[in-house]
Amino acid sequence: MPPLRPAAAPSPLLALALALALALQGAAAAGPGGLLPQAARAALHFLNFRAGSPSALRALAAVQEGRARINAEKECTVDLVFTTERHNPEEGEERLGKCSARVLFRNQKPRPVINITCTRVTEKNKRQQEDYLLYKQMEQLRNPLDVVNIPDNHGHIDPSLRPIWELAFLGSSYVMWEKTTQFLHYYMAQLSSVKQWKTNDGAIDFDYTVLLHEFSTQEIIPCRIHLVWSPGKPLKVKYHCQELQAPEEASGTEGGSAVAPTELSNF
Amino acid sequence: MQGTGRGGMGPGLSPVDRRTLLVCSFILAAALGQMNFTGDQVLRVLAKNEKQLSLLRDLEALKPQKVDFWRGPARPSLPVDVRVPFSELKDVKAYLEAHGLAYSIMIKDVQVLLDEEREAMAKSRRLERSTSSFSYSSYHTLEEIYSWIDNFVTEHSDIVSKIQIGHSFENRSILVLKFSTGGSQRRAVWIDTGIHSREWITHATGIWTAKKIVSEYGKDRILTNILNAMDIFMEIVTNPDGFAFTHSMNRLWRKNKSTRPGIFCIGVDLNRNWKSGFGGNGSNNNPCSETYHGPSPQSESEVAAIVDFITAHGNIKALISIHSYSQMLMYPYGRSLEPVSNQKELYNLAKDAVQALYGVHGIEYIYGSISTTLYVASGITVDWAYDSGIKYSFSFELRDTGRYGFLLPASQIVPTAQETWMAIRTIMEHTQNHPY
Repeated sequence: MPPLRPAAAPSPLLALALALALALQGAAAAGPGGLLPQAARAALHFLNFRAGSPSALRALAAVQEGRARINAEKECTVDLVFTTERHNPEEGEERLGKCSARVLFRNQKPRPVINITCTRVTEKNKRQQEDYLLYKQMEQLRNPLDVVNIPDNHGHIDPSLRPIWELAFLGSSYVMWEKTTQFLHYYMAQLSSVKQWKTNDGAIDFDYTVLLHEFSTQEIIPCRIHLVWSPGKPLKVKYHCQELQAPEEASGTEGGSAVAPTELSNF
Repeated sequence: MQGTGRGGMGPGLSPVDRRTLLVCSFILAAALGQMNFTGDQVLRVLAKNEKQLSLLRDLEALKPQKVDFWRGPARPSLPVDVRVPFSELKDVKAYLEAHGLAYSIMIKDVQVLLDEEREAMAKSRRLERSTSSFSYSSYHTLEEIYSWIDNFVTEHSDIVSKIQIGHSFENRSILVLKFSTGGSQRRAVWIDTGIHSREWITHATGIWTAKKIVSEYGKDRILTNILNAMDIFMEIVTNPDGFAFTHSMNRLWRKNKSTRPGIFCIGVDLNRNWKSGFGGNGSNNNPCSETYHGPSPQSESEVAAIVDFITAHGNIKALISIHSYSQMLMYPYGRSLEPVSNQKELYNLAKDAVQALYGVHGIEYIYGSISTTLYVASGITVDWAYDSGIKYSFSFELRDTGRYGFLLPASQIVPTAQETWMAIRTIMEHTQNHPY
């Protein structure tokens, strides 16, 4: 890990900032590989959501440089440079993208503030073309309401269903970005079921459930996500996730509460 | 939706009994060919007091012949199991919720379970008679793995033997393979896979590695030297109950399946149940948590079996515990940031092992102590091993880094096992060359 430097601060706070930075240096890993890869992943969730393009999803390849600092309000700012690869790798083609990002974790509050710029790996026209092709593929799908468990238990994804997985991941990216904190980091483990799938007016109305894997607690979190995607337009997402059951509270939480989209959305 | 399958279990019918009951009750119905249980669910309801119990009895009166109590309302604190036909589900759940009755879904589709039962029974007649037709590039069920173990031991009885070291909570055998070319109580290496049941790539890697060991003996100089001086013990299914559950009900189950009276949630994280920093911050005392450490160190039979075995053996010199996912090779401690006394040696050994791994398919692993590389974790296997005097204690996190996570495609089994083997061999070689 590259050396960490204390934040520049006016001298009364310098000692505090220094102490905090030093503490961070000896700190336990915030997640697999430490704070830097996790910050990079959070930035990518945000980037993927903002790009709104299921054919152009990016995944972390490697962190090249980074540094973190904590301010007096215990907010952690991470500056990084990292390379990316396609989320859905194809045979042969493997062009690495490069991003620089600033990630601000707000003292254990979720929704980190992300500033990210990346080199353009695919030019805009090509990306729109691929999204449109993907949309056409999805239009052809017969009754994906039967679909459960993608990937299946053996990690297999039927090629015809891959577009659904990509679109589900896109919606999940929004959820995962929103829920990320300095200590909580998410992966999409599985698309567990399709509740609704409608294609009309050039848009896909997709209502589904995913299982998210939170790394530091190892918990599996079921989320119901409802998105509307149209190639070239911003993604609209609503979601509701079930949270960990406490030992005393057992009022029908598991499978009991109707999982209706109630949370914050950008609809 | 694949739920987390948390349901309370008190004293009463064990899952084996319940399954027998299910099969017997319905086999008649199935034979008549008329009944279909598609979409029916079995709900487990916990009544907290007499009032709630009577509400449950009222339910039967409200829906005569429509709900089917498998375990009827008896006393508070004893779970009540009720099969609800698909058409009544909405009403029944609304009733339960309206009256504040806590429930969980024990069986989310009775027909699916029935079909699986039928298939399992047919399958057990078809189990393979030899290892030559066993696919090393597929994931297998518990029965298939145990059958493979028997065949494997028979076919390589000159080097391999099978030891039962204990029983799981649900009374399954806990099996260890012993690789030995002779001697008595030789210095040995211990390898375990599958302590977390959803990490399927680890069992698959263990099986492939077992095959590799017997194939390479006499061919690969390094492995041959290792086996001529040391024994290898390998426990492939360290958490058999959890593993069976990942096949039958919940692919993402992590813990074992132990239950305790009065506790609503099932299972203990077997990698938090060891006697080293037990109960610390890197574990959870909430039984519903995925990192629940259990009531006390070694309270779980799956852990106690290993502790007893290794302690009695007395000559284990290296311990390798295999997990997924993250692509890491790590050494103690997990419980704190304190470095171990031979930290430098372990760092360099990890570096060499990761280098050897990378040489196979170019997969990058990171390495370091558990607390600084992954997260703080208390009561873990390798911390206990190290504190027990096993200087070379390592933990792997295999492929990948999150794209597929626990659901790693079967096509990656062999490449993963191939590269992991090079790392394991590096560690074993170092152990052999540095006797203590």
